[in-house]
Amino acid sequence: MGDDRLGELRLPDLGEVDEVAVVKWLKKEGEVLKAGEDLLEVETEKTTFVIEAPQAGCLKSIVRREGEKARLDDLLAEIA
Amino acid sequence: MISWLKSREKPLEAIHLALGCADYAASYRLQHQLHTLRCQGRIPDTILTVMHNPVLTIGRSGSRTNILVSPEVLQEEGIAVYEVERGGDITYHGPGQLVVYPIIDLREQGRDLKRYIRNLEQALIDCLQELGIMAERHAGFPGVWVDRRKIASIGVYVKHWVTLHGLALNVRVNRKHFGLINPCGMEIEVVSLNDLLDEAISLEEVTSHLLAKMEPLFGWEFTKGEVGEFLERGT
Repeated sequence: MGDDRLGELRLPDLGEVDEVAVVKWLKKEGEVLKAGEDLLEVETEKTTFVIEAPQAGCLKSIVRREGEKARLDDLLAEIA
Repeated sequence: MISWLKSREKPLEAIHLALGCADYAASYRLQHQLHTLRCQGRIPDTILTVMHNPVLTIGRSGSRTNILVSPEVLQEEGIAVYEVERGGDITYHGPGQLVVYPIIDLREQGRDLKRYIRNLEQALIDCLQELGIMAERHAGFPGVWVDRRKIASIGVYVKHWVTLHGLALNVRVNRKHFGLINPCGMEIEVVSLNDLLDEAISLEEVTSHLLAKMEPLFGWEFTKGEVGEFLERGT
């Protein structure tokens, strides 16, 4: 994922993809995260893609909720 | 040929595992075992080809509301329903349908989800063209179509950039079974390859044509594997 600034989870580069839909958060706000743990699923072009936690911490707030769209580098969640 | 493929000196090793007719649940477990091994770099890209007994599978964007018959009817017909992690809505798998599950590392294919889907579609289009059928994409509706009828569906799951699930090509399916659902959550008509050909073609022949079209698109060189010994390689 690489491009995340500390404390932020942004939509990574998935190639020539314009937009994804957030389909499922696998963690709840307030839950403790391990780095690399499965965090959410997004969907585009009939493809589900799993995004992992970029760092250990706590899922402070979910910015893009299930059903919402996101583009490259959009903020998805804040991690404390 | 795209630049990152051109720059590769040697083709990528890829294994074709032909499962024949296999239970959906068993194939699903095998996909996950192979996915773990592929993520660990213990096996090369692996392409499963299989035919299932009648099942319905529902992807992450789907729901049971697109099943048009009661659970009792499904039970009478012996059709199980699986909710799975792939993208997309509901689909049917059954006899006469070629199902392909590529377990491949997209980091070696340019890390591009869209390109992966386009390559799967292109392989299908090229394969059908060789058999004399003009097939096409419909923008915004992944899959392959012939005269607005769907001949092949796509639904994929990607974790750690390694793929699961894949594509299903209708070769000679029981169209009555597609009537059990709104395929992909839409009111669409489906078609089988053998509805369009003067002379029937076998699933084995279609498999060979399709894999031959996938090979250059993905930069692979296939070898054939056996499931048992193959799993042992990774353990």
